[in-house]
Amino acid sequence: MSLSDLMLIERLLDEVEKPARYLGGEMNAIIKEKQPGDLRFAFCFPDTYEIAMSHLGMKILYDILNAQPHIICERVCMPWVDMIEGLRREQVSLFSLETRTSLHAFDIVGFTLQYEMSFTNILEMLDLGGIKQRNEDRGESDPIVVAGGPNAANPEPLSMFIDAFMMGDGESLIVELSQTVRTMRQTGARREEILYALSKIEGVYVPRFYEAAYNKDGTLACFSPNRQGAPESVRKRIELDLENAPYPTGFLVPYTQIIHDRIVLEIMRGCTRGCRFCQAGMLYRPVRERSLDRLYGLAEKLVQNTGYEEISLSSLSSGDYPCLEELIQGLMERFREKRVSVSLPSMRLDSLVKQSLEETSQVKKSGLTLAPEAGTQRLRDVINKGVTEEDLMRAVTDAFESGWSAVKLYFMIGLPTETQEDLEGIADLAKKVVDCYYRVPKQQRAPGLRVTVSVSTFVPKPFTPFQWFGQDDLETIRGKQAFLRDRLRIKGVQFNWHDAELSFLEACVARGDRRMGEVILAAWRSGCRLDSWREHFKFANWLKAFEECGLDPAFYANRLREYSEILPWSFVDIGVTGKYLQLEDERARAGIVTPDCRGDCQGCGLRRFEGVCTA
Amino acid sequence: MKMWVVFSVGQRLRHIGHLDLMRAMQRALRRSGLDVCYSQGFSPHINLSLASPLPVGMAGDREVMEVPMQSLIPPETFKQRLNDALPIALRVISCHHRPDDEQAAMAQVCAAQYVFEFMDDADRLLAGVPEYLKRVSIPAIRKSKKGDVAFDIRPLIFNLFTKEGKLYATLALSQTGTAKPLTVLETLADFVGIPTPRAIATRTGLLTSCFGPLEAI
Ligand code: SF4
Repeated sequence: MSLSDLMLIERLLDEVEKPARYLGGEMNAIIKEKQPGDLRFAFCFPDTYEIAMSHLGMKILYDILNAQPHIICERVCMPWVDMIEGLRREQVSLFSLETRTSLHAFDIVGFTLQYEMSFTNILEMLDLGGIKQRNEDRGESDPIVVAGGPNAANPEPLSMFIDAFMMGDGESLIVELSQTVRTMRQTGARREEILYALSKIEGVYVPRFYEAAYNKDGTLACFSPNRQGAPESVRKRIELDLENAPYPTGFLVPYTQIIHDRIVLEIMRGCTRGCRFCQAGMLYRPVRERSLDRLYGLAEKLVQNTGYEEISLSSLSSGDYPCLEELIQGLMERFREKRVSVSLPSMRLDSLVKQSLEETSQVKKSGLTLAPEAGTQRLRDVINKGVTEEDLMRAVTDAFESGWSAVKLYFMIGLPTETQEDLEGIADLAKKVVDCYYRVPKQQRAPGLRVTVSVSTFVPKPFTPFQWFGQDDLETIRGKQAFLRDRLRIKGVQFNWHDAELSFLEACVARGDRRMGEVILAAWRSGCRLDSWREHFKFANWLKAFEECGLDPAFYANRLREYSEILPWSFVDIGVTGKYLQLEDERARAGIVTPDCRGDCQGCGLRRFEGVCTA
Repeated sequence: MKMWVVFSVGQRLRHIGHLDLMRAMQRALRRSGLDVCYSQGFSPHINLSLASPLPVGMAGDREVMEVPMQSLIPPETFKQRLNDALPIALRVISCHHRPDDEQAAMAQVCAAQYVFEFMDDADRLLAGVPEYLKRVSIPAIRKSKKGDVAFDIRPLIFNLFTKEGKLYATLALSQTGTAKPLTVLETLADFVGIPTPRAIATRTGLLTSCFGPLEAI
């Protein structure tokens, strides 16, 4: 970047509302001087700094890349509207946090895909960074644009923009991909050949080597490689040895407050519960754990290197970690003197142990969060959320007796087979929780009961047993929300609900095909970005974008798909088979629950690969 | 026992807020393992204080922080260990033992020195400094909870001069009166009749009532 551009950035920083977002220079930020032959990787997070810096995957991969010889990884986040406006006005390129390098000067520009409604941010960042948005328009000197993360499991909606996708765990894959690009660039290989080489790496999908054809009714007629050697099916990468997989020991410590401003210890990856609505539960199989010793060792270094005052545990279901209590106790003992507290996020209520509740309350009394997801036992069986009302009541009573007074309950509406009774059930449960509180003697309970009931709209996701399901249409959702609003007028209860429109679009994009790219582009052109921020969400523009592209959003969101249909993501092998998903869907309809498969394999498909699943 | 720590805030960090800076120092002290005092209670923290909050948008050459200590540590050791635990843009310059019963650093600050480097053309502004200073009274506006308050900023300007295209200022900074550097710049630009040129300001030092550097009392 030229000196005058750097000066312009300084000026912009004086103008914008939260300049601290763009400063870099945090503790443990890594700045490497570029040597000839080094590859520069821009790790792009398509949301604001505060969200990006709370994301564990980014911290892991940032460290792994920078530990490689000849690879330099710097971070780039989605700027806020004031900075976007400033960059455009002053004609300054979007820049990295570490060295304020223009996005287009990097060799690889990699996006992490965490949320479908951040896809317009990707287009905005490419545009601000001086990179052509359509992959077919990019030339030899342009960066190679890659993407990974959970949303890469259905890469098709972004296949127009991204050169290569990475499926599954990224630890080894991102290094292999980067080193391949580096060595091939050194030998002067052409872009097309580099991409072809990438397509040979297990876990990489290069959309330009595939073609899609459609039936008259809009469904996929066929999808296959158009270049010889590109694999028919792209299989996700699995980091089998989580214990020894690299983990950062020096988290970046931002100056400005972020969402999760603490040490995060990933104790486990994957989940064997088999909740039928949960995409992560299927995507991250098999279950792998880190040992107590490894975790203590990591925590020790992280406390030393960050100065953070809090450790939280991360996994899809921390309650299932075999030695959870021992771990919490061990961490608390080790760090009591250093005044570091331990907190438990996203606890599953059936694995709540009263003792660990009390342990945490010793140090930190944050609210208790429970996710029954559905209002009746019948519907909880359908979605395979193996939680009973008894579990819930016991957990809540324990919490109230131990001095908690704030409880958050998460539910979904629009789940398959949902009836009026299930909606009533949500209000009933909330009432019962309130009653629980008042049954605890006044001297014992903490004052100020606060029950927050958060209701989101169910979004059917690829690679779940409900991937064929049609989402409720907008009117139905709004009706259900209104009903609940009415029923939840209970003293001490606060009702939150999500934007139905946003969930509707999320459903469209999540299960979109190749043609969805044009819609995203049209939406961005009409000014859509930062869609997940209510004040910037422009639903009407999205609808118009669909219209312009001649596509019907209901086709993607609300239509019940046939089991026989070729799904846009059928060519991706995430381990769990389509056959198993169908079986699970059929069981759901019949109200049959599937047990936790740990020690009781249900044949989801992962064992097709030798040594992958030993749960 | 307490330690006064003189440190710099690099230009890279001129936009971090006061609370952010405090938090960064807290965490650096925790990383350093230095024997500092923690508060009691659910979320124990170090009761450090800054002699004066650094205005947002400004770098600082010689900021002063007061840290309560558990035990007496040689200043040189303290400096080195804290520097090892700080990000590059924050640097400890020197450390000083201070008696516990001494007035807090905050109460001893009377003035501060600043330097402005201009991003826009500032020739006319700089040329106007002598005439500007000749005025006996310079009306300015201060924002307060009750709305805008008019006051005379002239007595709060102790020194103002230019050198090699930069503007240097020594301005009052105390409970009884403060001249904000930006207000001085604005009234000066106003006096000369130009829009306020954009500048990167650095606070170069904190002064006591006898105009000596705070840390040298
Ligand atoms: S292979 Fe069997 S044990 Fe492993 S995740 Fe699938 S169902 Fe569970």
